[in-house]
Formats: sequence, C-alpha cells, structure tokens
Amino acid sequence: MIINPADFGYIVPYLILVITGLLLVLAEAFYKGKDRTALVSLAVAGALAGAIASVVLYRQVAPGARVTLFGEMLFADRTGYILSALFCVATALTALISPAHQREHEWQLGEYYGLLLLSASGMVMLAHAANLVTIFLGIETMSIAIYVMCAMRRRSRRGNEAAMKYFLIGAFATGFLMYGMALLYGAAGTSNLLRMQSALAATSNPGLVIAGGFLLVVAFGFKIAAVPFHMWAPDAYEGAPTPVTAFMAAAVKAAAVAAMMRLFGLALGGDLLPYGRLGWASPFVVIAAITITLGNISAIRQDNVKRMLAYSSISHGGVLLVGICSLGLGAVSANGSLIYYLIAYTLSTLGAFAVVIYVGSRGNERTLVDDWSGLASKHGGAALAMTVCLLSFGGMPPTGGFFGKFYVFKSAMEVYDGQLLWLVVIGILNSAISIFYYLRIVTAMYFKEPTTPFTPTKSGGLIFVMALCPLLVLEMGIMPGFWLKLVGG
Amino acid sequence: MSDILFKVGYGHFLVLAAVLFLIGMGGVLVRRNALIILMSVELMLNAANMTLLTFARMWGDLSAHTFALIVIAVAAAEAAVGLAIVVAVFRGRRNVDVDKLTALRH
Amino acid sequence: MKAFILALLVAVGLPAIAFAQGSAAPQPGQPGPRPGTIVVQPGQPLPPNVRRLQPGDTPLAVPAKGGAQAPELLQPAKPEKFPHGDRVESKLDSKGIPASKPLALLFWAFAAATIGGALFVVTRRNLIAAVMGMVGSFLGISAIYMMLYAHFLSVVQMLVYAGAIMVLFVFVVMILNRPEDEPVAPTGRIGGVIGGLAIAYLVGRLVMILIKVRPPTGEAANLAPGPTSLGHDWGSVKAVGTDLFGPGLFPFEAISILLLVGVGGAIAIARPLHEDEPASTSGADNV
Repeated sequence: MIINPADFGYIVPYLILVITGLLLVLAEAFYKGKDRTALVSLAVAGALAGAIASVVLYRQVAPGARVTLFGEMLFADRTGYILSALFCVATALTALISPAHQREHEWQLGEYYGLLLLSASGMVMLAHAANLVTIFLGIETMSIAIYVMCAMRRRSRRGNEAAMKYFLIGAFATGFLMYGMALLYGAAGTSNLLRMQSALAATSNPGLVIAGGFLLVVAFGFKIAAVPFHMWAPDAYEGAPTPVTAFMAAAVKAAAVAAMMRLFGLALGGDLLPYGRLGWASPFVVIAAITITLGNISAIRQDNVKRMLAYSSISHGGVLLVGICSLGLGAVSANGSLIYYLIAYTLSTLGAFAVVIYVGSRGNERTLVDDWSGLASKHGGAALAMTVCLLSFGGMPPTGGFFGKFYVFKSAMEVYDGQLLWLVVIGILNSAISIFYYLRIVTAMYFKEPTTPFTPTKSGGLIFVMALCPLLVLEMGIMPGFWLKLVGG
Repeated sequence: MSDILFKVGYGHFLVLAAVLFLIGMGGVLVRRNALIILMSVELMLNAANMTLLTFARMWGDLSAHTFALIVIAVAAAEAAVGLAIVVAVFRGRRNVDVDKLTALRH
Repeated sequence: MKAFILALLVAVGLPAIAFAQGSAAPQPGQPGPRPGTIVVQPGQPLPPNVRRLQPGDTPLAVPAKGGAQAPELLQPAKPEKFPHGDRVESKLDSKGIPASKPLALLFWAFAAATIGGALFVVTRRNLIAAVMGMVGSFLGISAIYMMLYAHFLSVVQMLVYAGAIMVLFVFVVMILNRPEDEPVAPTGRIGGVIGGLAIAYLVGRLVMILIKVRPPTGEAANLAPGPTSLGHDWGSVKAVGTDLFGPGLFPFEAISILLLVGVGGAIAIARPLHEDEPASTSGADNV
C-alpha cells in the first residue's frame, strides 16, 4: 500500500490545524452565549501548537532533504516547515487581533475562527505541496474560506461587496489556474512537481509548456494582485473587516508565494528547463516591474490608510515576484531570501493592521490619514509601532524590511549575466519613492494636532500583537544573519 | 478537409476544450450578472477538466482522473459559497449586477 | 504594559529557543546538497519516487548557460508536408480515438451540444434559459468524456454538475426572481477592442499549439487503452477508485475539509439576519 502510517507524523501541523478547525466549527453549533473568549483561546492555542509542531519537525528534517509523503502528494522539507510555521504564527496573531474588532464593530460570528484555521490548513498544504493536485486543493481551501470571512460582517454592504468582487475574481483566476495546470500536465504526463522538471525538459510539446506557464502567470497574478490583475485588491482590502484584511494581505499572499516557489522554482525552473528563460519568466519580470512601480504610484494618491496599505502590499507583491523570477532562473540563494522577505513582510503587515484596528472605534473607523493626526501625543506606543512597521515596509535600515529587500535584490543579481539588474534598479528606486507616502502617515501621527479625541479599541491580545510584530521586525533588522540562517539562506 | 472531419484526434478534443474555455472567459468579461459570471467560471473549469482527461487518455495515466474528480468537488464548493455571497449581496441591494457595486470606489 | 513585556520576552526568546539548534545543523565545510536533490541516509529505504541511476539511463542534457540554445527550442515545429501530418492516425483501429465515420459524427454532434449550450449561457437574458443551456452543455461534455474512456467521470459529470450544482443555481435564480436589466456591459471602448484583439491573438496561438499536440508514445497512444495493472478496465469505477484510494487518498480526504468550509461558510453568510444580532449601527456601513 502506498500510504505509510509514518507519513502522518510529518503532517502533524496540518492535522492540528484541521482538528482544531473542526472543533471550532462544531463548538459554534453548540455554543450558547455571546462571549467567544473560549473559542479565541482554542483557535490561538491550535495555531500555536501547529507552529510549535512545525518547528519541531523542522529540526527533525536534515537541510536539503526531501521526504515524500502520501504517494508523492506532499513532501516534507525545511522550506515547507518554516513556511508552515510562518502561516501558523500569522493565523495565531490574526486570531488575537480579531475579537477586539468583532466586539467593537459587532460581527461576532463564531464560524470565523473555525474558517480561519481551516484556511490556514490550506496554506500549510501549499507549503508542503509536491503535486499539482495538492497545490490546487490548498489554494482553493485557503481562498474559499477567505471569501466567506470577507462577507462575515453581514450587515455591512461594503463587506458583502468586497466579498463578491474578491470571489468573482478569485473564481476567474481558478479557471486560469486549472487550465494552465491541465496544459502543463499534458506536456509532462505527470502532475508530480519533482518529476515534472525533467519530464518537461524532454517533452515533445514545448508549446504546451509555454502556454501553460502563461496561464499560470495570469492565475497567480490575480492571486497575489500583480498589476494588470490587481483591480480587486484595494476594494477587497478596504471592504473586508480589518482583521480579515490583515490576514489576506499577510498570510494569503505569503501562501500564494509559497505555491509559486514550488511551481515556478521547482517544476518550471532550474537549469534543466531552458523554457524558463523565455517561457514564463519574461512576462513575469515585466509584471514585477509594473507591479512595483504602479503599486507605489497609486499608493501616493490614497487618503485612506487601508487602501494605501493595500497598494503598498501590491507593490510588495512585485518585489516577491522578483524573488520568484530569480528562484526560477537559478539563483541559489533566492529560496532563503524569499522566505526572509516573507517573514518580515508578514510581521510588518500584521503589526500595521493591528494598529489600524486599535485606532478605530465603533462608528468612527478612522481610516483616513487625517484621522491619524496627533496619535503620537496621546498614544505614543501605537504611533511607534506603526512607525516601525511602516519603516520596514519602506525598507529603512534597522528593520527586517530593509534586509528582506536587500537579500531579494542580491539574489536577483546572482541570476546569470545580470539579466535582472534593471529590475533591481527599478525596485530600489521604488523603495525610495515609497518612503514618501509612508512618511505621510508618520508625519500626521507625530507633527499634527489631533482633531477629535481618540477612543482606541483596547484589548490585551491586540496590544500584544502591536508590540510583538514591531519588536520581531526590529530584531530581524538587528540580527539578520541569525534569521537568514534559520530560513536556510 | 475530410481529414479534419472524420479523423478525430487529440487535437480535436483539445481545441473543443479551448473554445469552451474561451466562451467561459468571454462570459466572465462581458456579462454583468453575478450568476452568469459564476456559470461562465464553471464552463472554464469544465474546459480545464476536458483538457485534463484528454491528456490522461493520451498518456494512459489514470491519476488525472482523480485530479478531475477533485476539480468537480472544488467547483461544487465554490458554487455553494458563490451563490451564498450572491444571496447576501442581493439581500442588501436587490440586484446582483457587478457594475452596480460602487460602495467601494474612491 | 504587561502585554508589552510579554511580547518583548516572546520576541527575543522564542526564535532563539526554537531554532537555535536547528539552524546549526548544516556543518561548515559540508555544504548541503543542491536544491532538487534527494538525500537518502545510508540504510534508509529509498523514497517511492526515487530510483538509483541504472547503467542504461540517459543522462539529462544540461543546456549551456546563457540560453544560446533556448530560442531554437521555442521555434514552432516545422510544418510538415501535409496538414495534420504530425497527428498519428491508426486507420485499422476503430476502438481508440474514433477513427470511424459514425464515431466522428457523434463527436461533432456532442461538440455542437457543448459549444451551443455554452453560447446559450453567455448570451441569454433569461437566467433560467442560461441554466438550461448549461445543462445541455454538460450533457455534451459528459458524452465527450465517454469518448475519452473516462466512464466514471462521465457519470459524475452528469450526477454532480447537471444533477446537483445546476439545481442549486436554479434555486438561487428562483429566490432572486429578478430579470436582468442590462445583460451586457457597454462596449465600444478602445480598451475593450484592444483587449479583445489581444485575447483573440493569444487564443489563436493556443489553438495552433493544441492542434499540433503529439502523443508521447506515437502510434500506440491512439489505440484503445488496455486494462490497468490490476486488470480493471481503463477509466472504469474500479480503476479510478483504485487510484483514488491509493496515491489519491490524501487529496481525497483533504477535499472533505474544503467541502466543510464551503458548507459552513455558505450557511454563515446566507442565513437570515437574526433578531439576536445587534442592529446595524452607524458604524456598520463605515468600512
């Protein structure tokens, strides 16, 4: 038989998330009363247990080793475990910042936590995916749960509208994804990522590889909101409840990048496949350049903090694409740099959105930049946390964001013949531009007088996240070598 | 000409799937009703499935049948959630025209 | 303040404790294997997808760096003397890909049903008519699957798609019970025309690629597929089931999670707004 019982040991993080998610869905059915604290604790505990299990397994697996599981549907390696630890931590932090927002804005649906963990289980599946089937299934498990979470503020018209837009675009992208996968399967004759690379190199239908690669570029362009396919993102990010926005911007994007690392880095990349250079990589570098630039330029014009962060996250998606390109084009260090960048980006995003939740209150969401005037005089800690996260977004030195960009661009320089040099120049120029709009928020917080008194949303979990994320981001900036070694760079 | 008509090969099935995919894509891009868009997406997924099964036949590999089965299940789940969202939006504004979703424009 | 101190402790302590030993694992002087290699400890059995290199194996060609070779690999296959010459046809066999005239005519009939139904979906104003077109399309698709020896999938297509998903659509159409005002987006903008042309060009290229697809095994691929290694008919319920509960077991089980998310999520969104939920406040529409 193909299933080896020992395989279950390798997917303990996945099992923990699934079982906790099922318990939470069940608990909601039998739970009486308004107070959902027990559910939140269970969700946080489950996600943290998943993270701990990932770390334990990370140490079990030798660097560079790959153990295939379940008839080659999944594999266990260090990259997968560090990514699943990241997803679990992001889920736990999202669960911590959610109850305050739910209480304040009155959308206490218990299903939320169950779906959050089940969505995370899809992400963990993506981190370990070794087959087109598991990549497809992981992306769908993650996405369908997020569509629902977007629509969970059921009385809010904007929430429903955001969910509808996100859903229709996501379903459209699924069509492209599936068709692209079908063409790749046709070229390779296998859906296994590990065998696909050599099968594609020997294929008798190179046209199918190119067509399939293009379709996958479109599909993942939608998923991570790269620029010609980004129109849904600002609306969805603004309309969704803020904790869900944080989860979408941080974890969902990271999971999509994890899937791309497997697909473009492993199956479609590397030395064996000359199509990589002219097949999917050429549209990808162009999309990356446009995404970084237009994301930044659009962010400058925004007055709404959530929309500004949405455009900034689009621009960061462009930098991630640069990393994916260099990974597929054979830069050895790109794997570690991408993971480092993902960790820094995820933590900064969660921190920034936690502050957005903190600042808003019922009936006054305070999402405009002007609403943030004078935050520092009354709530210095929140302003400081936001500043650190924004500096990390902008790639300023003592933060993780700086080293993230540095490592990603350094890997891009490693690509043969300096082919991506122009992309690095564009990326660095845009980093400088982005400082401008991040500093707009910082100036408003520190150098303007408050217009109306702040009535922040207070909760222990929220403040914990607001403190933890900037601290971790700073730590990543102060000891980058230690963190880079963790992620195998 | 008679070759194209009577010698049906893998290319025929694949082009049929591509045309189906194109029609679905056109439906998503052109139509404004959320339900029709959802149906067009289903057409796209079916086109992908047909491609998958043609290649499965070509390679003599049954694992693609499992893949196709999973795609059908995913399409069902997606349709359920999509229709729920459509109902939720309809409850708020009494129509499901995607061009009229304008609360989020700035 | 307590939360802050806790955060400080976690930020500093946790990563250090968690990873300190793990990160030390790659020994200096012993560089890890390059990505893509599978490391098997001596004494451990080989993973199922790996086999040791045999003497007769063809080594994989590694192209020269610089991509000098790449452009020529991208050249479309040279046109052959007669059209469709690259498609292998087996004139003797009528059981495989339909080479006989009646089967070919059936293919065209079902293809017409598929395409006609699909066109019906995207052109009808009446939603019920669109759903019916969809059902017709699925009927054609199901028959096409049968021609591809996907018997089980053909039945599933009818049962699940036409039987279940379309009924769901009909339900929702009935609930909404509202004709469409403006079925098609206003067109005529330059962007639409350019986009349409670009899509037409790309689809043309795609069709050219698809027409030229060559079966990997040559002549043999056109024959009717033989039984699977366990002796089941190819594409039958037994054969697909064996695959589904063998290598496909993990995704098969994982899909139950996805379906649960779908069911639970649909209930969470679409159930009526209860009395016990707080009434809409001024802030509810704010974000």
